[in-house]
Order: sequence, then C-alpha cells, then structure tokens
Amino acid sequence: MIRSTDHELHDSLSVSESTDDSQYTERFTDYLPVRMINEFVYCPRLFYLMHVEGQFADSYETIDGGIVHRRVDSGNGHLPAVNDPARGEDLCFAVEELDDPPADALMDQLPQPKRKRRKHIQPPTLFGDPKDESEDNISSPVDDSSPNLSRPPSKEHGAETAIDREKEDETPAIIHARSVTLSSDALGVIGKLDLVEATGDVATPVDYKRGRPKKMSDGSLDAWPPEKVQIALQAALLRDNGYRVNEGVLYFNTTRQRVVVGLDSELEKQTVKAIQNARQLFESRQIPAPLNDSPKCAKCSLLKICLPDETRSLMPVIHEHDANAQPTPSDVDIRPMITARDERRPLYLNQQGLMIGKKDDLLIVKEDRKVIQQVRLREINQLSLFGNIQLSTQAVQHLLQMNIPVAYFTRRGWFYGTTQPLGVKNILVRREQFRKADDLITCLRLARELVRGKIRNSRTLLMRNHVEPPRTVLAELKRLSERVLKADSLASLLGLEGTAARIYFSQFTGMLKVKCDIETDPGSALSERRAAFDFRGRNRRPPRDPVNALLSLAYSLLTKDCTIAATIVGLDPYLGFYHQVKPGKPALALDLMEPFRPLIAESVVLTAINNRMVTPEHFIVAGKSVVLSDAGRKGFLMAYEQRMDALVTHPLFGYRVSYRRLLEIQTRLLGRWLTGEIGEYPVFITR
Amino acid sequence: MRRIYLITYDVCDPKRLRHTFRCLRNWGDHLQYSVFECQLTDTDLLRCKAELAEIIHHKEDQVLVIDLGPAASRREDLVEAIGQPYSAMAAPCLVI
Repeated sequence: MIRSTDHELHDSLSVSESTDDSQYTERFTDYLPVRMINEFVYCPRLFYLMHVEGQFADSYETIDGGIVHRRVDSGNGHLPAVNDPARGEDLCFAVEELDDPPADALMDQLPQPKRKRRKHIQPPTLFGDPKDESEDNISSPVDDSSPNLSRPPSKEHGAETAIDREKEDETPAIIHARSVTLSSDALGVIGKLDLVEATGDVATPVDYKRGRPKKMSDGSLDAWPPEKVQIALQAALLRDNGYRVNEGVLYFNTTRQRVVVGLDSELEKQTVKAIQNARQLFESRQIPAPLNDSPKCAKCSLLKICLPDETRSLMPVIHEHDANAQPTPSDVDIRPMITARDERRPLYLNQQGLMIGKKDDLLIVKEDRKVIQQVRLREINQLSLFGNIQLSTQAVQHLLQMNIPVAYFTRRGWFYGTTQPLGVKNILVRREQFRKADDLITCLRLARELVRGKIRNSRTLLMRNHVEPPRTVLAELKRLSERVLKADSLASLLGLEGTAARIYFSQFTGMLKVKCDIETDPGSALSERRAAFDFRGRNRRPPRDPVNALLSLAYSLLTKDCTIAATIVGLDPYLGFYHQVKPGKPALALDLMEPFRPLIAESVVLTAINNRMVTPEHFIVAGKSVVLSDAGRKGFLMAYEQRMDALVTHPLFGYRVSYRRLLEIQTRLLGRWLTGEIGEYPVFITR
Repeated sequence: MRRIYLITYDVCDPKRLRHTFRCLRNWGDHLQYSVFECQLTDTDLLRCKAELAEIIHHKEDQVLVIDLGPAASRREDLVEAIGQPYSAMAAPCLVI
C-alpha cells in the first residue's frame, strides 16, 4: 500500500492541487482519523488494539482529556470557505453526517446565531473567547493565558509572526471555528480540528491537550512527537482545503501554555511516513510486538489490555543461528505496573418479586411498589438476577450503555444466559478461535494443559485444607497430572480427568471442619437426621446434599464469570477446545474455568461452610433434592465475591492480582495464544 | 483506590440546587441536607467535579469537596453521630 515515492507524497501534502489527482482519490474508501495517526506514533500496538481490534479503556488521562475538550467539542464546526474562487471548488468539507444537516454549508456566510450557552459561567480552566465575552459581559480571569489572545515569547518563527501580524492588521477579524471536521482525499485522512484561527486565507490549527508540554534541556517548551505529527496533519488538512498554514499550535491545559509547532520539511516527512506505516499496519492485521521497557506503558490507558511485559515474557525467542533450536521463553523482567483496580462491585438480586427500574444513574429496587434500595450504576460491574425479578427495558438499556453485563439464573442458581453490550469489534481473535478449534492437535494440546492445571490445583487445595491428606492420594494425583500430558485423545483425557476427580472428591469431606446435622424431611414421620455436610461424592441435577448444592451453585457462578471474561476479550464462549460443542453450553467458559474450579469454586464452598457463612438452617430439603434458601444464597454469594476479591500472586509474573482480574488476564493470554503471539498458553497453577 | 469525600454545597437558585442534588445522588450517599458522602476513585472525582462545574453558578454558588482519606483504611471513628445513628457499609458485593 505504499502509494508512490516520498517525493510525490511530500508535494501532495503541501499543496491543494492533489485533489485533482483521481488516482489517489479512488484508492481510499476509508479515511484514517488524524487521532489514530497520533496514537500510531505513540505506540503502533496501541493503534492496533484501538483501531484494528476496537478495544478501548478509560483512564484518568482519557477522562481528563474528554473534559478539557468539552468546550471545544460544543462548537458548531463551521469554518468559512476561503474567499478564493480558484480554490473554492477544491473544498471538501466533511460535514458531520448526524449533527449537521448539509444545508448548514450555505449558512456559512450568514451571521452566526448567538451560541446558546448551556450553563451560567464556564469554569476558568477553559479558555475565554473574546467574542463571547463581549456578548456576555464576562471578564475571564484567564485572559492572559488564553490561547486566542496571546502568543508566547518562545515563538520560533519570527519572520512568520511578522507576516501574521501584517495580515491581522489588514483584516483584523479573526475567525475562531471550533470542532471543525475536515478531510483530505490526497492523504486519505479525516480529522476534527479543535480550533481553527483563520484570518483571511491564513489559518492556524490549535489543538487542545490535557497535559503539559515537553521541557527541553535549555528550558524552552516543545511538543511531544505524536502531537507534532497530529498538528502537522491538521495543517495539511487545512491546506488541502484551500487555506495557507504557517504554523500549528498546541495548547496544554494543565500549564495553560501555548506551544507553536513549526511545520518544517522534516516533520512533514515524518508525518507522511506515519500515515503510510499506519495504513500498512491497518491492512496487515498483524499485531505489533509490545514496546520494550518503555516508560510510555505506565501511563497508557490500554495497559491492562495490552499486557506488554507479560506478552514479551511469553513470546518465543527465535534463535537466528540455530534453526533447530526450540524456542525458549525470553527472560523479561515484568515491571510492577499497577493497573487501576476495578473498584466496582457485582450486584446480585436474589429476593423474589423485586422490580428494578432506573432513574438517572441509579437502579431503583422496589418491593411491593416501595423503594427498598437505590444502587449507583457507577459502582457495579455486573448484575446477576436469581429467579423472578423484573428488570425494566430502560434499566437494561442503561446497563448495556454503561458496559455492565446482566446474567440470569433460575431461582435455584442454574445459569441460563447473559445480556451483554455489543462488545468489542475484535473479530480477528474470534476467527482464530474458530480456525484453531478445527485442529484436533491444537485442541488436545490445550486440553492436556487445562486438565493438568485442574488436577494440580485440586491437589494443592487438598494439601492446604485437608486435616491429614493421605499420601497415596497426593501421589496418585501427581502421577495423573503427569499422565494427562501423554493422553493421545480427548476421550482418554476425559477418563483421566474423571479418575482424578473421583480420587479428589473422595477426600473432600476431610476439608470440611463443621460437624452438624440436618433434618431430611422436617415434620414428617420418615424424617431422619443426618450429618449436614457429609459428602460422599459429586451428584447433581438435582444436587442431593448440601455440599453438592453449594458446589453446583459455585460452578454456576464461575461459569458466569468465565463467560463474561470470554466475551470481554472477544472470544466466543460457546466454542470450546476441550469441552464438546453442545447447544446452550458455554464450552469455552467451561474450558477456561477448569484450572479455577478448585481454586475458586471449591475453595468458596469450604470457606462458606467452615466459617459458618452457610449453616444447615439455610437448606431446604425437598424429597431427594436440596436447595439453598434465599438467605443462604445471600451468604454464599458474599463468600464467593470475597474469594473473587482475594489477591493471589501470579506464578509467572510475580505480581498480586484479584481472582476476578486473573480470570481476565488468563483469558486475554488465551486470545494471544490463539492469534499466535505467544507460543504456549500458560495455565494458571498456583504454588 | 477509592477515597472518601464529603461533598457539601450551597446553591442559591432552586433549579440549580435540584440539579446539584440529582447529580450528587449518582455519586454518593445523601447524609443530610446539602451533604453527601461519596466514595470515589480519582476518575470518578474528576467526572463528578466536571458535572458539578457545569451545573453551578461560579459566582453565586459553592461546592466544597472534603477529602476524608482512603476508603480501604477507614477508621471506625471517622464519622461520629449525635442523635440519629450513622452507619457505613462495606461489602465485597451487593446482594439484595
């Protein structure tokens, strides 16, 4: 996709004649947004994750940036055409389709109606607009630092300033146009310019940045390279639309400083190169390697999606000299970069007959038409409903808009579905998932590791919690965990897993430290008392004793969380590698959860019973089946979430994360393995 | 990391007062007239302040944001009530 020589492109960047060149115009059906080029220069991997895979995450910086841009984005986007008949025909304004009807273009020459100010006085962090101020009789306290009025003394291009000033003297009317969307067919880019200051046919793009400028060693201020490229592109857009541009300006909101960017040929070359490379990457569909030990990572909002150091440490090192050598994991130190913890909590609705509505950003929980609780949506990250609970459509819509998935269970805790937002546009990883699932050898490779992880982790759980774990059992589990690696089919793997589970569950009672009784059929003559937490092996559908009832519910909850994790990453939860495809069965979620069954689900059951969060009174015995009462389920949900919140040290990466985050990390790594970025999928095995 | 903030406001105009109340209701618990207790992350606080700045009149009204420290290491006696009882809840999840 390199279109022509640098030289030609360089020409096309600087003058407007390029729109005549239909050869270029036809090539680009899609414009690259200018902002994307900025991200490409910052980090190609960031560009890829955001614009090819469609992943995004907010951070302090992105939110602050959004607030800084609020005033600018409220502009009407009108920039008068250049009063030059020769150039007028070349204008190609990309009018925003939704916000601006096309007829607006005709209104450019008419006097603009006074912009309706939304609120009373703008906070002083944003710039003042001289025109608005005269209308509103407001004296802004920040006039001195206002980017519209003053030019900093550190300006580099003295000669051009003089020309500028001359122009301003002739035509003192400076037009300030905000939020102007322009496109260039020659470059194939489109961009929204925060502010354009135009005097006659000379225009200066001004871009708002939240941070602070780069301080040079001599004390002068400079812009960061990605921002420079962005402003150069904005200048090129203005030129392609008939304006003359001498310089670009970056306004840094934190320090309220204005930095002038000179548009030299060096920068233009760099810009053209960036567009080319970004476009190439866009079309190659190959994720670039993470930056190596870059300080940029720590501030990057996609850190928790990108996993730079984790990925690097798992990437195979290719031996250049010895072609036969096995690729070995590289030796990368994983920097302890702390991603912001998800501070939100899950919400479970468990009480039958509740009605859930929505008001502003609150969920209103009503019982018998009386409000019993209000839940702030910003404080929850998922919603689970058990049984007969009404959720209004308005609430569902708002939940999905806020990216909060909803999971549905029957009253007894059978997980039967989720409602999720449209999700990531990352179809590439899903395509790889379908390709790899067709390959039996790949399936077997992953399945072996998963089963091994499960057996190893259940062995660890026994060693940690059993009063006196029999040595033979531990030895047998260890032997089985090694044997699964030699299993030659999924069927034999299933057999080995079954054997291991039977041995393991035979020792499960030894981990329960509460001895009490439960009445099987209260009030009836046939009623008998038996040990409440006497566990003689796994049974289900329906579970026939309290421990099995708890285990079933715990697996249900874990399936829900794995399904959500798979969807967040962009994988299809229904196509598994080890578990067979069956309608309605989230096979991939079941695959993912194998190593976590002992660590999360079974461990919660032990905690809930041993800490008496669930007691025999919490069970309802009906015939052979046993179910939890609403109160018991509440206690158990608390125990489950406590476990998900507990911190665990990752054996490969050495940092501590919550189990909830761990599920996401492991799922992301599975995605990386599917796309071939890492050589082996590291199954989580605790120490 | 969430921190506890006491957000109080003095708003002169009834319409803006109502808007301020409705805005803060999305962020924290209504303790008393014109007093909210909010547990906010740094991004929450940023958003909350931006919303309030849009609502209030910067010459006539006032909002105070008082930082009471990290929510995780909250002291038992951080808030003491005389009269009506005061309770602060903390749980790994919400179950209703």
